Amino acid sequence: MGLKLCLSSTLKFSPISILRPISQSTKNPLRRSLLLVRALSADAAAGTTTIAPDTTPDDFRVAKAPQWKAAIDFKWIRENKEAVAANVKNRNSNANIDLVVELYDKLMNVQKEVEGLRAERNVVANRMKGKLEPSERQKLVEEGKNLKERLVTLEEDLLNLTDELQQEAQCVPNMTHPDVPVGGEDCSSIRKMVGKASEFSFSVKDHVQLGKDLNIFDFDAAAEVSGSKFYYLKNEAVMLEMGLINWAVSEVMKRGFTPLITPEIVRSSVVEKCGFQPRGTNTQVYSIEGSDQCLIGTAEIPVGGIHMDSIIPESSLPLKYVAFSHCFRTEAGAAGAATRGLYRVHQFSKVEMFILCRPEESNSFHEELIEIEEELFSSLGLHFKTIDMATQDLGAPAYRKFDVEAWMPGLGRYGEISSASNCTDYQSRRLGIRYRPESSIPPKKGKGSSTPTRFVHTLNATACAVPRMIICLLENYQQEDGSVVIPEPLRRFMGGLEIITPKIQIRC
Amino acid sequence: MKGKLEPSERQKLVEEGKNLKERLVTLEEDLLNLTDELQQEAQCVPNMTHPDVPVGGEDCSSIRKMVGKASEFSFSVKDHVQLGKDLNIFDFDAAAEVSGSKFYYLKNEAVMLEMGLINWAVSEVMKRGFTPLITPEIVRSSVVEKCGFQPRGTNTQVYSIEGSDQCLIGTAEIPVGGIHMDSIIPESSLPLKYVAFSHCFRTEAGAAGAATRGLYRVHQFSKVEMFILCRPEESNSFHEELIEIEEELFSSLGLHFKTIDMATQDLGAPAYRKFDVEAWMPGLGRYGEISSASNCTDYQSRRLGIRYRPESSIPPKKGKGSSTPTRFVHTLNATACAVPRMIICLLENYQQEDGSVVIPEPLRRFMGGLEIITPKIQIRC
Repeated sequence: MGLKLCLSSTLKFSPISILRPISQSTKNPLRRSLLLVRALSADAAAGTTTIAPDTTPDDFRVAKAPQWKAAIDFKWIRENKEAVAANVKNRNSNANIDLVVELYDKLMNVQKEVEGLRAERNVVANRMKGKLEPSERQKLVEEGKNLKERLVTLEEDLLNLTDELQQEAQCVPNMTHPDVPVGGEDCSSIRKMVGKASEFSFSVKDHVQLGKDLNIFDFDAAAEVSGSKFYYLKNEAVMLEMGLINWAVSEVMKRGFTPLITPEIVRSSVVEKCGFQPRGTNTQVYSIEGSDQCLIGTAEIPVGGIHMDSIIPESSLPLKYVAFSHCFRTEAGAAGAATRGLYRVHQFSKVEMFILCRPEESNSFHEELIEIEEELFSSLGLHFKTIDMATQDLGAPAYRKFDVEAWMPGLGRYGEISSASNCTDYQSRRLGIRYRPESSIPPKKGKGSSTPTRFVHTLNATACAVPRMIICLLENYQQEDGSVVIPEPLRRFMGGLEIITPKIQIRC
Repeated sequence: MKGKLEPSERQKLVEEGKNLKERLVTLEEDLLNLTDELQQEAQCVPNMTHPDVPVGGEDCSSIRKMVGKASEFSFSVKDHVQLGKDLNIFDFDAAAEVSGSKFYYLKNEAVMLEMGLINWAVSEVMKRGFTPLITPEIVRSSVVEKCGFQPRGTNTQVYSIEGSDQCLIGTAEIPVGGIHMDSIIPESSLPLKYVAFSHCFRTEAGAAGAATRGLYRVHQFSKVEMFILCRPEESNSFHEELIEIEEELFSSLGLHFKTIDMATQDLGAPAYRKFDVEAWMPGLGRYGEISSASNCTDYQSRRLGIRYRPESSIPPKKGKGSSTPTRFVHTLNATACAVPRMIICLLENYQQEDGSVVIPEPLRRFMGGLEIITPKIQIRC
């Protein structure tokens, strides 16, 4: 049960329970290990201990041990402690950097002790090989035994410290781009405004009313069959959804992205590695009964998973995917008037862009993604603003996040229609996605290994979230008689349909 | 006991009343229990069967129609897994890591194939007067049961959502059947004809064997489903209409297939009669089911509570509030397009010696004009 130091500065540790907070229960092995550590460390003598409060954002418990760990650069955290701590504060995160550093230092000390003891044991073992007086031999045997006992205890401490450190460090959110505004929602800054709110000479209807008059939605039957926040699309709304998906995939493919259709059921570990929490209270994630599987809330998850635990040749980068999937979200904890109709639903179709690239390129690919989004939404004639999200609205994985909010005249406000995040190496360190840089120096003769691998950067961006787009199109393109004009780019993806009109006869 | 009585008479009546009440309570409890038991036993009774349905097991099913013939190849054919590998359009390995076995990613032209097939199928069936629908894929388990499936049996095909009474649908038949749950439909609205698109999720518990390689048996797939609610006297003819639509669709793609009248042991409880279509899959070297059309008569509607009110030819009597008594509708369902099985058919039947695959003409305009899928030399992602 030893510990191996690998070539990179990250340490490999055994799997730990990353989601278990430090609970009050003494049955929690993690707490026992904490007590053990305190008993051994000099700090314990001082009588004060800084046990982190519940450091995980959601108050949840995990029943079983986790199966994976993020490859976190602890040394880097320690060396950049002030910047990391400031970032944590700006994001209003519960992560405890002091504890992380403290645990790391303890770990290093115990590591040294262990190495020292091992060296001593070797010395003793070697001496026992020679010719010795019985009394001398006996002394050595005693010494050896004593060393072995101390070693066993320390090695156990090492494992526990490793687990604790891993758990604390995994709570640390991603660093933040220097240009990101610091603060809450009101601090987010507008990067761009496109178009302007259309003026109506009549009183506008919202999409629910429009949909009712056009006979293209059924929320009531869905509430009976499935529950609230579900819906059937009927008639022209079906063509709208299919048209939007076909258009979005086609447009993004033109820009060099590889199209994908993904699984919608995935292992919960993959969900966690992408930075989501399947088992928290108020989790957004549906779980499958009797299995460790979940439903995806976004294609980001299965696409991130494709290259899990792999080393990609540098020449393959960047990898650019456009993925279509249905998405399922519990929307637990979301309430309010804005949840009427299609605005907040449990199931929807989405076309998602995903990029894996070299670290030095992620900022420029982030710009590329937001540009594609802006082009797509402009081409449909939408009025929208692009927002640089402030630190408290970023979410743990995102280094920087741009949201697009489009004008929804029926709602009378802007509504989010897409989000583009640069996750740098946050996801790749958890998913284990590396690349091998091409070496300009030819490898020395006889040397087997090439240049050390690095973690890729990952980015994701919504090309089209269908229900929000349907709201935008219906509300912005409504006419006085309740009909809705289809913007030109979508028509050929809808069999040439130019306008949705209310019908007099009762259709089903 | 309301009248004037002698005390002793009254007392006798009180005793009698009490005695009657006790016996009544006991009997009423029996009534409830019997009702429950009867309901439980009776709900296990399968639907009646059309007189023309062959009696017996799988080998007794009869072939109604054969369309086309197996194409002949001058080279050794590949199966869809090999074709897909060479064309770089599937990824089963990554899906096994991310999700488990029997999952898959579609890539590149397979994405266009899936989207093209769905668009084509919905468009073709809409042309025949069906109302298009996109349905929820999470439904209450009671709706699943009312359609004749069993969410909680061992070897259930149904995925359940943890911490909830909801399930994932295995077919759009379920949410479409649910739309008119507990309703009375005016006769003039019938028939109601829907073409519904959804993803479908099946555990495939208990299904094993070589035929589960690749796309043949998977946990998640896209399907376009036809569903009809009609008057009882019309269900047989709508069943014929549905199978005709299917046969037209599959013929138009140039597939070779047989339509089978399924024998009694293969019907499944809800079906009065069931026609399966099995298409020739040269890579598999056998016929594989690509669709199923069932007439469920009133089995589902009695559970879902879907009735209609026949138009009365006799004007209602003055003062009488109610009109003609309601009847249960008949329901039918039929697969227009089960995407993975269709992809297998298209790849395996339209392969060429160099590994490329020709797209049948009707699909091309739904695939941006793509005429052929070719293996690429360069390594794509």
